[in-house]
Formats: sequence, C-alpha cells, structure tokens
Amino acid sequence: MRLNILPGALALAAAAAPFGCASNTLYRWSGYDEALYDHYKNPQKRDEFVAKLSGVIEEAEKSGGVVPPGCYAEYGWALYEEGRTAEAVVYFEKESKRWPESRPLMEKLIRNAARAKAPAPTTAAAVPASAPEEAKK
Amino acid sequence: MRRLLIVAALAAACAKPAQKDYSKLVSSNPRAILVVPVVNKSVDVDAADYFLSTLSVPLAERGYYVFPVNLVKRMLEDDGLSDAALVHSADPVRLCSLFGADAVLFVTIQQWTAKYVVLSTQVTVKFDYVLKDGRTGEELWREHQAGVFDSSSANSGGSSGGLLGALIGSLAAAAVTKAAPNYMPLARDANKRALAYPGPGIPAGPYRAEYRKDLPASPPAAPAPAKPAAPQAPPAGKTPPASQ
Repeated sequence: MRLNILPGALALAAAAAPFGCASNTLYRWSGYDEALYDHYKNPQKRDEFVAKLSGVIEEAEKSGGVVPPGCYAEYGWALYEEGRTAEAVVYFEKESKRWPESRPLMEKLIRNAARAKAPAPTTAAAVPASAPEEAKK
Repeated sequence: MRRLLIVAALAAACAKPAQKDYSKLVSSNPRAILVVPVVNKSVDVDAADYFLSTLSVPLAERGYYVFPVNLVKRMLEDDGLSDAALVHSADPVRLCSLFGADAVLFVTIQQWTAKYVVLSTQVTVKFDYVLKDGRTGEELWREHQAGVFDSSSANSGGSSGGLLGALIGSLAAAAVTKAAPNYMPLARDANKRALAYPGPGIPAGPYRAEYRKDLPASPPAAPAPAKPAAPQAPPAGKTPPASQ
C-alpha cells in the first residue's frame, strides 16, 4: 500500500513544482529559504549560512538573472554582524540600487555601518539625524 | 496515483473561493511588504523561525518587494522587540515606517500538533495570515489555512479545503514522521495555498506582468481568461465525474 503511494506522490510533488524550478518563477532563489531554515535550526553553523547567502547571489548574477529581493541585504547584514562593515556596505548599496523600495532602510544601515566603523562617541547623537527623514515617508 | 490525484482534486474543489473584499488592498496598492517574525501558539518552540524562513519566496514570487526577513528579525531584536507577540501588537504604521514598507504581514501559527498513533502520525496545522496597511494600519487581507494530515491514510482535509492535498505522500510523510520534523514542505504548501490568486491570496504585485490586470471585477462573472496559473479548482457546482 505504502509502496503504491510513493511513486504517485513523487509525481505529484514534481507536478506541484516547488519553487525554484517551475518555469513561471520570477527569481532564481538557489535555496535562500533553506539557508534561513538551516540557520535557525543550527545557528552555530554560521559560516555555512553566510556562504549559502553568498551562493544565492552568485548563482543569480552568474545566470544573468535578477538577484531576488532582500538577498543582497540579507548577505550584507550577515557580514555586518561579523564586523565586516566595509563589505556589508557594498551589499547594502547593491540592494538599494536593485530594489528602490529598500532604499530608506539601506541608507539607514549604511549610516549605521559608517558609525560602527568610526568609533566615535556619537552613537546616541546620530539618531535624531535620521528621524526627520523617516517621518517624511 | 489516480486515487491520490482525485483526492487532491476533490480537496481543491471544496475550497470554494468565498470572494474576498479586495477593495482596501487594491487601493492601498503596496509594493514593499515587511514580514515580521511569526507568532507561535503551538507547542513546538522552533516552529516560528522555521515558518518565517518559508515566507519570503512565495510572497516575492507574487511580485512584491519583500524585506529580508532575517535582517528584519535581528533589527527588531536590537530594538528590544525580540518577542514576536510584542511586534504583532505594535502599531503597523510605526513598524512600516521603521523599514520604509508599504504593508506588513503578520503570520500566526495557531496550531501545529503531531499525534502519534500506532502506525501513523496525524498532524493538525492552523495558520493565520494578516496583511496590514503601512499608512493607515487597516487590515488589507486575511487568510486562514487549516488542515489535517494523516500519514497512514494519505488523506487530508481542512476548513480551507485540504491544506496538504498536493503534498500527500512521501514529502509530507517525511515531514511528520522524523523525530526532528522538516517543516519546509508543509509550510511551503500552506503558504502557496494562502497566497494563490485567483483564490484566497493576493493579486499580483508590481514585479509580475499581470500587475493591476488581475484585479477582481466587481462580480466574478466568466472565468478570467488570461490566467496561466496553477490548475484551479473546477467550478464549485460541477462534481468531477471521474471521482468514482
């Protein structure tokens, strides 16, 4: 009984076309969701997570496709958390350029990164500077 | 195989699309959607994070810009909002302005229960999806997905017409029988159903070709012509004759 079900189920699953290989998907995700899932499941394997995010970007760029929304920024954030601020900014900028919707947030993150780089005592003072901009949105 | 297909078809047929009111969503016309951490009312402590990881892909594939969920989660935590329930009770307008989003999606896992019987595992799942406007805070769209999966009968059913209909068998069985269950297949399937349009989901966002062309006509008259989407449920009145 069980054996009878399996091939059919596999065919069904294939027909259901999980994201990624269906022809009508907008983006090539290359396992972005699995990378997140694994990260939440095994947070100690951080290097793997960062490498997978990098892989998502690489795959999309290599194939001439669009890097899916959020992926540059997600990768940039992972770098930022590791203190690789200069690299992080590069990816925040990429996200901002590719996805205009992300611009206000990316600009904020870039400002934060700049502050993190310069060990200035202005952390608190810098907050009001960004506030009026947000209010306009 | 045939029987399985029929079960899936029937499950789909039962999901009569109780035509939703899309007027607020249409006039709000969001481009960029913030997905905040998932509230988990189930007993499985990790379910929320796992579920969160499955939301970006289907939502972005609907044509919206989706903010990076892990970045958002971490930023909220840095802001003292590490409790998803706190985030969900926060003002949606404020949340959206924090990130520059047009709308915010709140997802709640109401139930995720695995019941182990002698030869099978029965999993009951219930999820709520609520989209709120970033300018007014008003609710734009809501969907509830519920289903029961039984690994022995490979059968399913639920108030939204069989959440797991399309995933009967190996994938779902693997998802529920392992000691450390893999949530991805079940969660993906729920999201896919919840967001499907036409169906209970949301119209195409700006990055899809059918953006603004797939909006609901006042009364849904003839079946929409230009719709190459997933096979839809047959008209509710018709019972598939092949179902014997």
